[in-house]
Amino acid sequence: MNQPDAMTENETRGEPAGPVLLEHLFRRQAGRLVSCLVRLVGSQHLQLAEDAVQEAMLRAAQRWPFEGVPEKPEGWLYRVAHNYAISALRWGARFESGPDELIEKLEAKRELAESAYLDGDVRDAELCMIFMCCHPELSREARLALSLKLVGGFGVGEIARIFLADESTIAQRLVRAKRMIRERRLPLALPTNGQLRERLDSVLEVIYLMFGSGYAAGSGEELIRQDVCLEALRLGRLVAASSLALPCVDALVALMALQAARLPARTDAAGDLVLLEEQDRLLWDGKLIGLGFAYFELSMRGDEVSAWHVQAAIAATYAAAGAPEAIDWPAILSHYDQLMRIQPSPVVALNRAVVVMRVHGARAGLDELRPLERHAAMRRYHLLPAVRGQMLAELGRMAEAEQSFRAALECDCSEPERRFLQRRLETARLQSV
Amino acid sequence: MAHYMLLLRNEPNRWTGLSPEEMQKMTEKYFEWRTRPYVLDGAGLVDATGRLVGKGGSTVTEGPFSEAREVLAGYYTIEAADFDEAVKLALTNPHVSSGSIEIREVIHRAS
Repeated sequence: MNQPDAMTENETRGEPAGPVLLEHLFRRQAGRLVSCLVRLVGSQHLQLAEDAVQEAMLRAAQRWPFEGVPEKPEGWLYRVAHNYAISALRWGARFESGPDELIEKLEAKRELAESAYLDGDVRDAELCMIFMCCHPELSREARLALSLKLVGGFGVGEIARIFLADESTIAQRLVRAKRMIRERRLPLALPTNGQLRERLDSVLEVIYLMFGSGYAAGSGEELIRQDVCLEALRLGRLVAASSLALPCVDALVALMALQAARLPARTDAAGDLVLLEEQDRLLWDGKLIGLGFAYFELSMRGDEVSAWHVQAAIAATYAAAGAPEAIDWPAILSHYDQLMRIQPSPVVALNRAVVVMRVHGARAGLDELRPLERHAAMRRYHLLPAVRGQMLAELGRMAEAEQSFRAALECDCSEPERRFLQRRLETARLQSV
Repeated sequence: MAHYMLLLRNEPNRWTGLSPEEMQKMTEKYFEWRTRPYVLDGAGLVDATGRLVGKGGSTVTEGPFSEAREVLAGYYTIEAADFDEAVKLALTNPHVSSGSIEIREVIHRAS
């Protein structure tokens, strides 16, 4: 047939090779758009802002494939969301009085707000949003879910997959948290001096929880988890760059960067866990290691030694070792001793016990575990019997090790961890007969 | 080569459960498909702008047709050797994962 003709027609149409969107553009913009809109309409209209952003993304998804990507996609999204907010308020004004003033304000700020958005005047709004999401009046779980949704731009389904929870559970948690924001009139504003420390501590805690929820070995959702880790790192840097930053913020960023650097080496090609000591250091992300050490350096200004500092020091000691044999275990043990003084917890004690084993041997490690066995919070925690099994195996007590790995497998854990424990169990079983 | 029109139908609100990231991924799939060599033309249709007109041109129904099971969301014109190939090409469109595509051969004007 007329194949050549079709070719020429094709060329004259001058179609580009396919528009390319920045990676994570929608997700990143979702957080920024909501933050900027809420700054204009107030936190009592949080839902309106979320609906407006959802609508803007929807229209982009429906139109861009046909019309192509607009020259400034961020501005396009902002404009559509801003206009949607106005028309939704107008629609509402038919039934209730009140929003007229807000409508006028939004109309007046239409152009200004869009150009401010394009100029990158979003950091303040994002920062205020983090502080609102992490308000101490909200439950810890709600703070984390809200931060992922409103600042991180993650969807309800994605958040549910991160926590291995039902979508409806997460949806309800978010609804309740948003109702609380409305009812308690939690403002979209930075904390004042008197509250700064408490509010900052909550933000840092939530950011690290976010990081940890992404860092936990995944169940076929590696990509989302990595995104969550990098989002937490981004938020940490956002806070660190703000006027509210204290050295402990830099320490948290250092900690996350040094840990995130190991993400590519943490699982092998089959998705199985690789222990820190067995990781291929060439796979560690050099840029993140560099970033981590730079922030660690920054965190040294001032006298404060926070738990973040000590944890960053532990991560830095691991990262500084050129090879697994070169890890300075006694230094790590003294950091853990310090961490136990500042922020004692059974999980820290468990991690410390592993280091005790490295320095003083498995028998000493087992002694450290004994008080933890009685701890109620540790009863269903798979890593306690897993560590016990490892220590027993090193002492050659294979039958007991096997029993411990079996106990670990009875607790909740992720799929890669399960496979890891199963392999350990199998090894112990073969050697015990 | 014959020309075929692909009419894309959606269930209303089919994107609503998607996260921003998922929406972007979906949008990118459409981008990629749009630039394939056999795609000649296409356009999306603005949501909630439907009017049905009938005899005498009077408005019969005012949109959006939310009660309809599926609404027309857009169209593409493609070229293919025959209907079988057109069907095969339509099946590669990302739309088939969430909506339906009606395929119609466009009558060629005698030149």
